[in-house]
Order: sequence, then C-alpha cells, then structure tokens
Amino acid sequence: MADGSRIEQRGDDQVADTLRKLAVVFADFEQRLEATPLIRKLTRGRFELADYQLFLINLRQQVKDGALWMSRAASNVGEAHLELRSTLMRHAVTEHRDFRLLEADFVCSGGEVEVIRSAPKNVGSEALSAWMFHEASKPDPFGLLGAMFIIEGLGSIKAAPWGRLVKERLNLPDEAVRFLLYHGENDAEHMREFEEMLRMVLPDAAVAERIVMTAKVTARLYALQIEEIAA
Amino acid sequence: MRAEAQLCALGTMSPGLLRDVYITGTGAFLPGEPVGVEVMEDFIGRIGRRSSAVGRRALRWNGVETRHYALTPEGRPLHSNASMTAEATKAALEDAGLSVGDLGHLATATTQGDYIVPGHASAVHAELGAGPIEIASYQSVCASALMAAKGAWLQVRAGEAEVAAAAAGEFSSRWFRPEFYEGTSLVDAKGRARVEADFLRFTLSDGAGAVVMEPKPRPDGLSLKIDWIDLTSLAGRFDPCMWAGSTFADRADMKSAWSHAGPVAAHASGSIALVQDFELLKIVIRAWIGVWLEKVDQGRIVPDEVDHLLCHYSARSLREEIVSVLNSTAAMIPEEKWFSNLPTVGNIGAASIWVMLDAFMKSGRAKRGEKVLLIVPESGRAMVGFMMCEVV
Repeated sequence: MADGSRIEQRGDDQVADTLRKLAVVFADFEQRLEATPLIRKLTRGRFELADYQLFLINLRQQVKDGALWMSRAASNVGEAHLELRSTLMRHAVTEHRDFRLLEADFVCSGGEVEVIRSAPKNVGSEALSAWMFHEASKPDPFGLLGAMFIIEGLGSIKAAPWGRLVKERLNLPDEAVRFLLYHGENDAEHMREFEEMLRMVLPDAAVAERIVMTAKVTARLYALQIEEIAA
Repeated sequence: MRAEAQLCALGTMSPGLLRDVYITGTGAFLPGEPVGVEVMEDFIGRIGRRSSAVGRRALRWNGVETRHYALTPEGRPLHSNASMTAEATKAALEDAGLSVGDLGHLATATTQGDYIVPGHASAVHAELGAGPIEIASYQSVCASALMAAKGAWLQVRAGEAEVAAAAAGEFSSRWFRPEFYEGTSLVDAKGRARVEADFLRFTLSDGAGAVVMEPKPRPDGLSLKIDWIDLTSLAGRFDPCMWAGSTFADRADMKSAWSHAGPVAAHASGSIALVQDFELLKIVIRAWIGVWLEKVDQGRIVPDEVDHLLCHYSARSLREEIVSVLNSTAAMIPEEKWFSNLPTVGNIGAASIWVMLDAFMKSGRAKRGEKVLLIVPESGRAMVGFMMCEVV
C-alpha cells in the first residue's frame, strides 16, 4: 500500500516535471514562430491574401501527414500500452481528414484546389515529416507524445488567434478560415487528455527524456516550416 | 586553488574578492491621499469631456481599490517624478540609519522621467541635494527597477561603493491627461479614445520606492542578503508590447518613431501617448512563464524553498491566468506565500516592487532565515527580472 502510493507520487512528480520541460520548449517555440517573417507580417498588419494562401498551401502537406504518422505510431505501440494505442488511433481518426478543411478554406479564399493539392512540401515540411515517420516507426514510440504536445499546443493556443487576425485583416468570411478558427476549441480538454497519456507511459526517466527531446526537435522543424514560407 | 591563481593571472577578479551585499533599508513615497475608484477619473481627466467607456472595466480587471496621484483633480502637479524618487531614497536611507551624505552610488529607474534629457538619476540627485556621487540612470518600464538594483548590487559587491541606493519613481498620471489624446488619431470622430490607450490610463499609479544596499547587514533589525539578480530580455523575438514614441502600425520601424516625425506630427499621429497591445500581451505572458519554468527546471528557483513571493503584476486577473499553468507543472508557490499591496496602491510601474518590499518589511512577516523572491515582469518589449534574498 505504502509502496503503491510512493510509485503514484513518483509518477505525479515526473508528469509535472515533464509538463514543465515541455512548457519551456513550447515557450521557446512560440517565440521563434512570432519572429518568423510570415507571422511578423500577420501581427504587424502587413498580411495579404497571397500570404494567407501560401500559409494554407504550406500547412496542408504536413497536416495531411499528421494522421498518417500517428497511425503508424499507434501500430508500433506494444501490448503493454493498449490504452495509449486506442487514444492515438482515435486521434488519427479525428484528424485524418483535416487537410480537406484546409483545402476548402483555400478554395473559399479564392484559390484553386489543384494548386494546393499539387504544391510540394517546403524544406521545413520535408524535414518535419521525415522526422515524424522515422520516430513513429520505432517500437513503442512514446517520444512522439512530445511532438503531439507541440503540434496540439499550436492548434489550441495559436491557431484561433491567428485565425481571428487573418479574418480581420483580410475581411474574409468564417468559411475561409475554418481550419485556424476551429482548432482553438477545447483547449482545457486537450490538456487533460494529454496528461492522461503521459500517465500511461510515466514514470520512466528514459521515456520522459525522449518526450522532451522529441518536442524540441519537432518545435525546431515546425518553426523552420513556417520560416520557409516566403513572405 | 590553482584555478583561482590562474584567474588572477588572467586579470580576472577572484570570487573571494566579491562581497556579500545586504538591503539595509527600504523606503516608499506615495503622493497625496489615497484616491478611491469612483473619483480616479477626476484626477486624470476626461478625454473630450466624456467619461471613459473602459475605465470601470479596467479597474475591475486590475483589482485596484485605491491608488495615489501626484496631481490635483485640476491637473496641477503636487510633485515631480524626481522629487518623489528623492523622497523615497531619503526614506530608505533613514530606515537604514543613514543620511544623504552617506550615499556613494545612486541608481535610478523610471519609465518616463520629468525631462527627456538628461537622465532621471541627475534629476533625483539634484533633488536629494547630495554632494558629488556616482549615478546611473536606468530607463525601461517595470523591470528597470531590477536593472538599477543589479547595477547597485554589483557596485557594492565589487567594492566600488559602500552605500548604494536603487530608487524608482513614476509619475504616469500626467501622461494620462486629456491633452495627450485630444486631437490625435487615438481619438475617433465621436471623441472615443482607442481602448489600447484608454485602458492604461486606469492601470497605472504614481509614487516612488527605494532600497539601500551595504556590504554588511544593519546592526539592529532585519536586513535582506541579496543572493542573486537575474534579468531576461526577449526583445529579440517580439515587437513592442507597451510603448510610447510610435504609432500602432509602425511600432517596429524605428525610422517612423516620434523622434523622426518631430513633436507636432508625432502628437497628431498618436505617437506620444502610452499604449499597449493586448493580443501580444497574452503571448508575452506565456514567455514570462516560460522563463520562470526554466528557472525552476534548472534549479535556480526551488518553489518549496521560497517563503515569501513578491510578484509585481498589473492585474489580479493576470495572476489567476498564470496559476493553473504553474500548478500543473509543479512550479507554483502557494498563494498564502504571496504578498501584494496592489489593491491599495495600484501598479506603480518601476516603483511597484520597492513600494511592495517596503510594505512587506514593515508588515512584520519576514523572519530570519526565510527566502524572499521578487519577480518583476515587464511587457514593454518582453522582459522579466528575478531577485532572490534571504532575511538575515
């Protein structure tokens, strides 16, 4: 009994430690994003329709891959962590059509669907995607929880304010900004779910370290993807 | 031993030569009588003679009940920024059992001094009437208090001064008078002031605070040994968040600043008044939390070892937003350890932290051996400062 509560305490401590390290990584990530040419244009009021369309084009390729690497990661989660496997599979199902929403936004903003579908990945998207599939192909790829923290954090913290700025600056209808606007919902819910996922794999010092490192690499490559959008 | 000898050979000072530094006195100066929420607008005046649309909301959001203004309701100044800062410095010297003649180094902080040139320290020195001393002017927003403190601390620590004062003063209310807004692009055709400008008018108070530092604790009563002072600026990653001297649209372009436009054009374009970008503020708050969490992660700050937290914040609501993040990351200092006098004095910018420390030291809460952590975030262009002390 005493042993059980000690292990639980150790688990809580490591979850809090990991969340703290992840929050530090996210803060640095957010600052890098703020300093990219594209986001500077957006926050300084110099954003134009062409910038928004480039933004959507460059996001789409990576968003399309998101559910795919998550599915692959789920298929590599072993029997000892079936609950985590279920959660990842549910996530993948929820998100695997999101890129269609991006395409619809693009079309609604005046773009042609063929343009967004046929655009190549930029240098950052290539690197990010390659990294994600590489990690997802490993057995028990728990480090990817760090990647999810970064990408979902972006969705729940940054997307909606960006969406509102885009809508306001370009005078676009909601229908042209749905991908950004709709992501801001349920922030608290996401955070609770993420904590639960961490509890499925922690305490484990090596896993905790890998989660933080994966978050760092993902954040740098994601920022590179946004930096690469010529603004 | 060998490493130390090598350091000396290289001309670097050995750590042994650095002295411990103590805050031996604190002082505050609050002008006039406490002003209640219902009459605050009488003091700063009404833009276009109409009541502010956001004033009440701003005051509720800030959680301020009373504050002090160095103005009469007619807008007549009772003091200058320099004279208030000098009064606080004298009070701190007196608290330490010293007088103006003992002062060797004066480091001042303010957001906006009485003059544009020369620096605030010169004006405060003149008001003090002290003989020849060394001075340094630090200018930014709230965190300039800790810039000055770090300067003064290092002066004493390095043996360059025996008695140093870090003093900060603010006279914000005069910048909030209607003439700073009327006839500018900050007011629309119907006479309504832009919320980013008007909100701040109800956020800032006047006053001054100071601390005195010496290389030994005071002979009687409590002193604060300064363990360390850390300042982190993130200006390289953000546009200005709270500023005066540029329009909203062109704030990142230094060539568009008021100094190029000239005073008349700058006034008309709304470049003279103090404004804040609330959207950016939300991002800057996360950046401050990031710096805090990093300090906890590196072990620089151990939350459980902090007995008293004096955190400068402009609004109660901001504090509530921050608490949930700190709880989930085991980086929270329990609320019963927080000390604040925000409800009675409001946000006095750079002076806030010293006015708060003075109230804390005089509250009887501090006990020998306890750790006191001071935190001063500044939205200006994203900065945050920390100062760790031990009660001795």
